[in-house]
Formats: sequence, C-alpha cells, structure tokens
Amino acid sequence: MNVFQSIRPLEQALNASMVQQRTITSNISNVDTPNYKRQTVSFQDTLQEATKNLQSYKSNPKHVPFSNENNASKTVVKTDQNTLNQSNGNNVDTDVEMAELAKNQLWYNAMVEKTNSQFRDLQTAIRGS
Amino acid sequence: MNLFNGFNTSASALTANRLRMDVVSSNIANAETTRSELVDGEWQPYKRKVVELKENSFESKLQAAMGNGEAPTGVKVSNIKEDDAPNKLVYNPAHPDANEEGYVEMPNVDMVKEMVDMMSASRSYEANVTALNATKSMYMKALELGK
Repeated sequence: MNVFQSIRPLEQALNASMVQQRTITSNISNVDTPNYKRQTVSFQDTLQEATKNLQSYKSNPKHVPFSNENNASKTVVKTDQNTLNQSNGNNVDTDVEMAELAKNQLWYNAMVEKTNSQFRDLQTAIRGS
Repeated sequence: MNLFNGFNTSASALTANRLRMDVVSSNIANAETTRSELVDGEWQPYKRKVVELKENSFESKLQAAMGNGEAPTGVKVSNIKEDDAPNKLVYNPAHPDANEEGYVEMPNVDMVKEMVDMMSASRSYEANVTALNATKSMYMKALELGK
C-alpha cells in the first residue's frame, strides 16, 4: 500500500481549485469585454462518481476501458452560453464571481489544512510519538 | 500550465482598466478643446475616445492547439476608437473659432457618459485587485504545505 494514497486525492483537489481560481480570475478580468461568455469549471470525477454503480467487466484486455476504471480526475473548463445579463452580450455577474472567489479561497485553505494534517499523521506514524 | 497564469490574467485587466481611466481623463480634460487637429487649414474640435476591449485569447488558442484544453486568459485593449457622435454646436459669437453665424463646434464629450465610464473602470479595477490578492494568498497558503 502506498503511504501517500490518502494525499493524492487532496493534491488533485488543490489542482482543481487552482484551475477554478484561474477561471474566476479570467471572468472578473473580462467583466467589461463585449460578447465574453463566463467560464465554469466542471469536474470529471463527479461524473465518474455518478457512473460508479455501473457494473462492468472486461473479458479481453484490448477492450475499451469503462469510465469508472479511469481514475485520473480531470477538470474541464466550460463556457456558459445560456445566460445573458448585460446588453453587450457579456454574461459575467460580478457578485457571483466575487462570491465564487471567496468560496474557492476558503476551500483551498481547507484543503491545505487537511493535507498538512495528513502529513502530520504520517510523521507521527514514522516517529512513533 | 503557467504557475502565475492567474496573476497575469488579473494584471492584464488592471492594465486595461488603468488605460480606460486614462482615456476618460483625457476626454474630460479636453471637454472644451476646439483646436485638436488641423484639417485643410481648419481646426477640428476634440473627438471623444472610446476603449475597445477584447478577450486576450492567444494563449488559450495556443494551449488548445497543444491539446491542453482551453486555458482561461485575460483581457486586452484592441483599439482606441473615436466616438463619431456629432459635435455640439454652441452659440458664442465672441469665441475665436465661431463661424459666420456665431456658432462654435464643441467636442462631443458627454460628461455623464465619462463619469459612468470612470466609475465602471474604477470598480472593475477594485474587483481585479481583490482577485489578485485572493490568488496571491492561495499561493502563500500553498507554500505552507507540509509544514
């Protein structure tokens, strides 16, 4: 068993949070750009979570892998084309973006705290005290 | 993936909004300028300038071409356009630039528009400073990993 197994998902969460941060920053910076559409981050692992209950097996190693076998969680940046709240074709809502920014920052801090506590646990296990 | 992408995005927006502010300042400063440029021996009044903003998508296109997906990027000023709204005619026969009927062509600067633009630019600037600080504090927090 890998010692860092419990830290790997946290690392992916931190990366995803950074992608989200860049997306929010990009939305805020383009708040006055005509025809700019806001971008959102969606996580492929939430999709995988939904398909986890799918019972499947491969009878041949050459078969195309099922979605629940791919454990690399990836983030996908999507463009929100459906809403419109400015007359110049821009759909960035500053209030929403600022709220998302604060939320993402807190989430990131929480993830760092969690990772640190995992490292501390490892250290305790290594030192035995 | 560039580590400081978030900073660059915010920085580009700060630059763009500062330029918008400069253009507004220039418009307000020249609200009464009747001699801006000489065309066929006649002085033309100042024309109001407008900033054209564009999504700075070069990097995201490059990233997409390299198969890294779309990378979100900042904003850039593509053009500073002249507002072609008609000039205001003001009756002032004592003015050195008055025509035969005593009317003077004044710049097409509208103070209300300028003030609205100014507030918009300054609010956007503030929002981007907040975003920049948030990104910075996240990187500072990342340095605490494993401490």
